Order: sequence, then structure tokens, then C-alpha cells
Amino acid sequence: MNEAVFNSRTGTVVRIINIARSLIRRSITLPSSLATLVVLIAAIPLLSVIYDSVNIGQQRWQGLWSTRLPELLFNTLSLAVLVAVGCFVMGVSAAWLVTRREFRGRKLATWLMVLPLTIPTYVFAHIYTTLLESDGWLGQAWLFIFADTLPIPDLYNVMGVALVLSLAGFSYVFLLVRTALMYSSRSLEEAARMQGATPAQVFRKVNLPLLRPAIAAGLAVVVLHVLSDFGAVSMLNFQTFTLSIYLQMSGRFDYQTAAALSLVLVLLSLTFLMIERIFRSRQRYYSGSQQRRYELKPATRAQQLLIWSWLGLIVLFSFALPLAWMLVWTGKAIQADLIDARFWEYVSNSMTVSAIVATLALLVALPVALFHARKHSRYSMACIQLSSVGFVLPGPVIALGILSFVLAWMAPLYGTLAALVLALIIRFLPLAVQSQEASLQQLTPSIEQAGRVLGASPLENLFRVVLPVIRRGMLSAWVLVFIDTLKELPATLLLRPIGFDTLPVRIWIEASEEMLELAAPAALMIVVGTLPVLWFMMKATAERKK
Amino acid sequence: MSKNLWLMLGMLASIMFMPFAAQAADELVIYSGRSDKFVRPVIKVFEDKTGIKVTIHNAKAAELVNKMRVEGDRTKADLFISNDAGSLQIGSTYGLFEPLPQEVVAAIPSNYRAKDNTWIGLSARARVLVVNSNKAKKLGFVKSVLDLADPRLKGRLAITHSANGSFIAGVTVYQKAVGDDRTLAWLRGLAKNSEGKVFNKHSKIVNAVAEGKKDIGLVNHYYIYRHLDKEPQAPIQILIPDQGDNGMGVAWNVAGVALVKHSSKKDLAKKLLDFLVSKEGQKIFAEVNREYPVRADVAAASQIPPNGSYKVADVPMEALGEEREATLNLIDKAGLH
Repeated sequence: MNEAVFNSRTGTVVRIINIARSLIRRSITLPSSLATLVVLIAAIPLLSVIYDSVNIGQQRWQGLWSTRLPELLFNTLSLAVLVAVGCFVMGVSAAWLVTRREFRGRKLATWLMVLPLTIPTYVFAHIYTTLLESDGWLGQAWLFIFADTLPIPDLYNVMGVALVLSLAGFSYVFLLVRTALMYSSRSLEEAARMQGATPAQVFRKVNLPLLRPAIAAGLAVVVLHVLSDFGAVSMLNFQTFTLSIYLQMSGRFDYQTAAALSLVLVLLSLTFLMIERIFRSRQRYYSGSQQRRYELKPATRAQQLLIWSWLGLIVLFSFALPLAWMLVWTGKAIQADLIDARFWEYVSNSMTVSAIVATLALLVALPVALFHARKHSRYSMACIQLSSVGFVLPGPVIALGILSFVLAWMAPLYGTLAALVLALIIRFLPLAVQSQEASLQQLTPSIEQAGRVLGASPLENLFRVVLPVIRRGMLSAWVLVFIDTLKELPATLLLRPIGFDTLPVRIWIEASEEMLELAAPAALMIVVGTLPVLWFMMKATAERKK
Repeated sequence: MSKNLWLMLGMLASIMFMPFAAQAADELVIYSGRSDKFVRPVIKVFEDKTGIKVTIHNAKAAELVNKMRVEGDRTKADLFISNDAGSLQIGSTYGLFEPLPQEVVAAIPSNYRAKDNTWIGLSARARVLVVNSNKAKKLGFVKSVLDLADPRLKGRLAITHSANGSFIAGVTVYQKAVGDDRTLAWLRGLAKNSEGKVFNKHSKIVNAVAEGKKDIGLVNHYYIYRHLDKEPQAPIQILIPDQGDNGMGVAWNVAGVALVKHSSKKDLAKKLLDFLVSKEGQKIFAEVNREYPVRADVAAASQIPPNGSYKVADVPMEALGEEREATLNLIDKAGLH
């Protein structure tokens, strides 16, 4: 072989290596590799589900398909649709009223629309079944009004579960839509009004299309909550995927069928998320740099009355009644001297775990959100989708996946809080990613580019440009994860350290043993514990004074 | 900002990796699937007597069996207390438990423990009927649990939903006693008579019967007395089904305990076991919930029909675990809520 050929060959090889290296260098940025790492960890439970379900064979799949799946699909999907409709009606109407009309008690109304977030779904379910007993408050009222002409409705059906989950979830839609309405540009609405459009037309033709990303994001959060809800469906015994999976695991000890059902649930949720993404990606709106604040239109007396009767109705059922119930029963528990040092230990356990999980989830979610906001590539999209896995897998399944993983690979961690924290981060990562990514969408690329042009390093840019802009989104993300962790039940049940009880665990234990005295104070403490963080969030997003 | 951030992260990490309950060498861990309220009193007495500290880890019995299965030899559990013989037997099938020594099991009648002594029953509850006293005459035809499928009870019958552990265990007993076909027909009758409306709590069944909204309900015996505690004048009474020469007897289920195979504190655990089967332990364990002590020489709470005063179904407790799957399939087939 002569030297020239050899040289040219090595030259080619070197050139190829160089090209590859630069390609790799360009694609393996810090956010991308961090995002990949995060997604890999988040995928642990999914991998274990896939591993378990491939082993069940075609025949069992066919068996499932012909017996359980149709009913479960129908139940789960109809529930999701009903809850989405309920949340849309309550959330969007309330958000529009508090951002576009001036009326007495408007700030209070904003607060009241968010407070239902503090009540876990299983507490809602429990309270409403109790209230609808013939000796419950609502049951009494019903008998008074309808006497014997109409039987008291019961909640053990799709409408009942949908009602409970809508009341528990509409605040997500309210929050996201409210923020979008507050910060959306005013000029479009004014232009429409000048052209003679009625308020209803403005809402339909201007607000709704502009709000589509926020509404879609809000409904996505709601639907994902529905798909993975364990507490309400098990209290009301409504067979959705999650309940069926749980019963399969803990009633029949059949982990493989549970894994197979989980896989179907994951595919269902991912399809849904994909649709939502496509729906959302068709339009991106960068908010202009010059924002003018809205001047709220004062409502007339009659309008105020109408507004408050609608909002009051929502508040009554979503917060006032449950709160009153909790207060009454807590009073009884205090009289019976049931609140002891152990109770306060549950409170502190709950707060500690929630604060840790919220903080870590935020940090872990940032690279994923950042990566996608910058790149908008197929890969970054895939990362976002995969990071959502935690939300679509039922809590019991995530917990078991993490438990096996920790025991196999990180045995010394077992029995510490770390295993629980890991599972909860995976579970609520999507919430953090979604909120951060939503606010990153508002970050006009030119702002970031300006930072770089002015000589900021990527890290400096992150701290001085990106983070300040998305601070509000970060805070919301922290609060949302905190609240969800505070209410989390199935993963905590399985993974908590020995003897480490949180408030939801106690509510679950007391309620399932038909000992209700301690369920009320525990539920009340969840509400009370959430108030300060909610206040923080609401303060940060409060309208600036002109 | 970043310095504070790191400091905060460091603090978080140190909290997380701190084993929260660093169990001391002389501290016992119980995985308990029985209500905290019913377990703590007996444990408290034991702690005071022996000075041994006990940590109770609560969850549903079936969940705990799953947990121990996955944990294997890394489990922290020394003892497993279950509210249901089914979960004990299933745990035993998975080889999670160690056979108990003869001196512990000797006091327990053989039909209330596993054949291989991997678990023992501690207290028993009876599946009985609660009847509204004003309707008792009209309901004279109900002699057996199986009569609950009689069309005359349409709309008048109160049952729990079919995911309830006590309900499932009862069905297993009937299935063993009268066979699959009759049980299936019976379950379908229940579905018709309950008209799709089921109760999620036993206490609500008793309540509905007391108020006359329903005439008759299928419950564990202690719920009746719990209700009478609160409302002594409530028009309810107990009906003990399936008696007489041809009756299959009342379905019983036990709460019990097992020694975890991978426990590292078996000597301590045996001390607690000894106490649980002692006359004193038996009395406390059963009486807090007005159940029957499994030891025949310990009397049950005075309000409930005494042990031995009625016939109990002759189905070994092990069946409640072994036949659970078959029962669940039957319930699914009957389309019960």
C-alpha cells in the first residue's frame, strides 16, 4: 500500500471523526445530556412495567382485551371527558370573570377559586358520600326540598366520580387560564371591540383562540389527574384503569396483569398528551415587550349579583361545604382529646417530604423544560413526553417499580426517605416540567440572544436572564408539586420509611377502618399547610399596581 | 444565590439519607394490616411490661404482603399482623413466614391456624345479618345467608361493595360449603336485590337498617354493637344465620399474626408472640373490637353471642387465602359491583 493512499485514507478518517465530534459536541449540550439523564431516571417505572408485561403472552392479552379492557376504557375515557367539561366550564368562566370584570370581592374570589386544590380527591369523595347520607347536611336538604319525590343521588357512578374530580381539579384550569388572560396582549381585544364585536364575540373569537395553549395545558393537568387518580375512584369503587390495576396487584397479587393494564394506560395517556401537544404547537405566541395592564370593566349591581351567584355556587361545593365539615369533625376530635403528639408528627412529616420533593422536582425539571424550549426538536419533544410518564402511571405501579429498582441497585438507600422522594419526584416531574415550559414559551428568543450578544456565558444567562423571566412559572411549579405531594397517597403508602406516617396515610388508614374522627383534622391540616405556599404563589402573580 | 442554593441542596441531601427510623437492636417492627386503634392497646401493655420498643407500620394487609415479597431478605419487618386470614395464607404460600414453635401455637385451636403453623389466628369475627326489629316478622323466611338472594328482598338488602375483604372472605366460605354453582346464582341474586346500590362501609349498612331504609344487611358482628354503643335504642337486632342440623354454620374470619422469615430479631419477636397468645394478650387484642378470642378459655366481650353458642362453618381458615382467586373470579362473573 503506498503512503499517499494511506495518508488520504487516514485523512478521511480523521475528517470524519472531526465532523462526528463536532456534531456530537453540538448536540450533546449540558441541558440535553441532563435532560436525557432525568428522562432515563423517570423512565425506570415504565421500563419495569414493560418488562413485566411482555412476559404475559399473547393469550392473556387477548383474554384481557375480550373481558376487562373495553369496560375499563369506556369508564376511564367517559370519566376523563366529563371531568374535562366540568373543569372547563368552571375554570374558564371563573378566570374570565376575575380578570375582565371589576366587582366587589374580586380578590377574594380569586383566592376562593384556588383553595379547592388543598383538598385531596379522596377527602372530597369521603365528605360528599357522608354529606349525601340521609342524615348528612345535603341529604337533609334534599329530603326537605324533594321529600320522597326524588331519591337522594348517590356518587357510586360515573357522574358522582366526575363531580368529585371536577370540584377537586377545576382550579388547575382556572390558574393557568387566569395567568394567560392577565398577561395576554390587550390590543387585540381592543381592536375587536373597536370593530364592533360584542363581549361574547371577543371571548369566542379572540380570547378562546389565544387561550388555547393555557386551556389545553390546564385540561391536560386535569385529565392526567383523572387517569392516575386512585383515592376518589377507590373510595367510590368506580372501575378505572388505576383502580383495576391496584386491585389486580393488591387483591389478586397478579403483578403481570397489573403491568399489562398499566401499559395500556400509559399508551392511552401518551396518545392524549401527543394530541394536546400537537394542538398546542400549532400556535405559539410571544408576548410583546410592551404590556399594558387591563382596565377592568366595572360590573353593574345586577351583574355583580349574577357573578357572585355563579362563583358562590362553585365556592359552596368546592370549598365551603368540605371546609365546614372538616371544622365540625375536627371540633369533635378535639373534644374527644384525639389530637396528640403523634398527630403533629404526621404534620411535620408531610411538610418535610413535600418541601423536599417540590424543591428537587423543580431543579430536575429545569433542564428538560429548557432543552425543549431551546431546541424544539423531535428528541426534545420525546424527552418531554417521556418525563410525563410519572403522571400517567398509577402511583402504586410507580412505587413498586422504584421499590424493585432501589432494592436491586441502591440497596443502602432502602428504608431512607430517598426512595420515597425519588418516586414522588418521578410522579410529579411532569407538573414541574409543564409549568416551567409554559413560562419558558413566553421567553422571546431575542431576549436570550441579547444576553449572549452582550457577552454573558450560558450559565450567567441562565441565572440573569432565563430564571428571572420564568421565576413566576418556577414558583407556581413549586407550589403545584408541593400541594400534590402533600396529598399523595399510594406511593407514600408503599415507600415511606418504617413508622413514617404522613397526613394522607393517616386519613387513609382511619377512613378505611371506619374510624373517621382523625380523618377530619388530618384533612384540615393539609388545607392549613397549603395556605402559606398558595399565598406566596398568588402574591407573586398578583397584578402589579399601575 | 448559587451559594445558598448549594447549601440548601446539601441540607436536603442530609435529611434524605438519614434513615428515618434507625431501628435500635432491641426494637421490634410490626407490619400491621389491622386498624391501629385495635393493635396499639395490646402493644402498649407489652411495651410497658417488657421495655421492648415496638414500631407499628400500618398499611392494608395485602399491600404489606406485596411489600415483603419485593423486599425479600432486606425487609425490616419482624412480625406481620393481618386483619384477614386470606392475606396471612397468601404470605405463607410465598414463603414469607417462619413456622412458629409448638409452645406458641399450642394454645390456639388447630382450625384457626395454618397447617404448617406459619401463622396463627388471634381474634375471630362472625359474618352475621343485621335486621330492622320492626321488619323481623316479615323477614321470618330468612334463615340462611343464602336466603338473601330471595326476590322478596328486592331493594331491601344492604351489602358492601365486592372489593371489601370481609365480603370476599365470606363468599369463599359459602363457596366451599355449597359449591360454585349455587354461590354464583346466589351472587347474581344479591346483585339483583341490591339494585346496583352498594355501601362502601359496614357502619353505613347498619345505619341504613336502623333507619329503616333497608330491612336487612350482611355485616361483621361487631358493627352492630358499635352502632348500639352510639344509639342504644336503635331498632336493630342480630340474626345468626345457617343454624340447625342442615345449616352450614356462620362464616368466621380471623385476624392473626406471622413471624417474618427474614427477621433478625426472632427472639424478641417470640416474646411478643408469647404475649399475644397469653390469656391477658388475647383478652386485650379481641376485646378492643369485641371480637372472639381464638383461645376457648378466654371469654369474649359480654354483649356478643358467646363463642360456642352457635354453629360455625366448618371451613379451614387457610381456604380464605387459597381460594381467594377463585372467589374473585366468581364475583367478577356474577357482575357484582
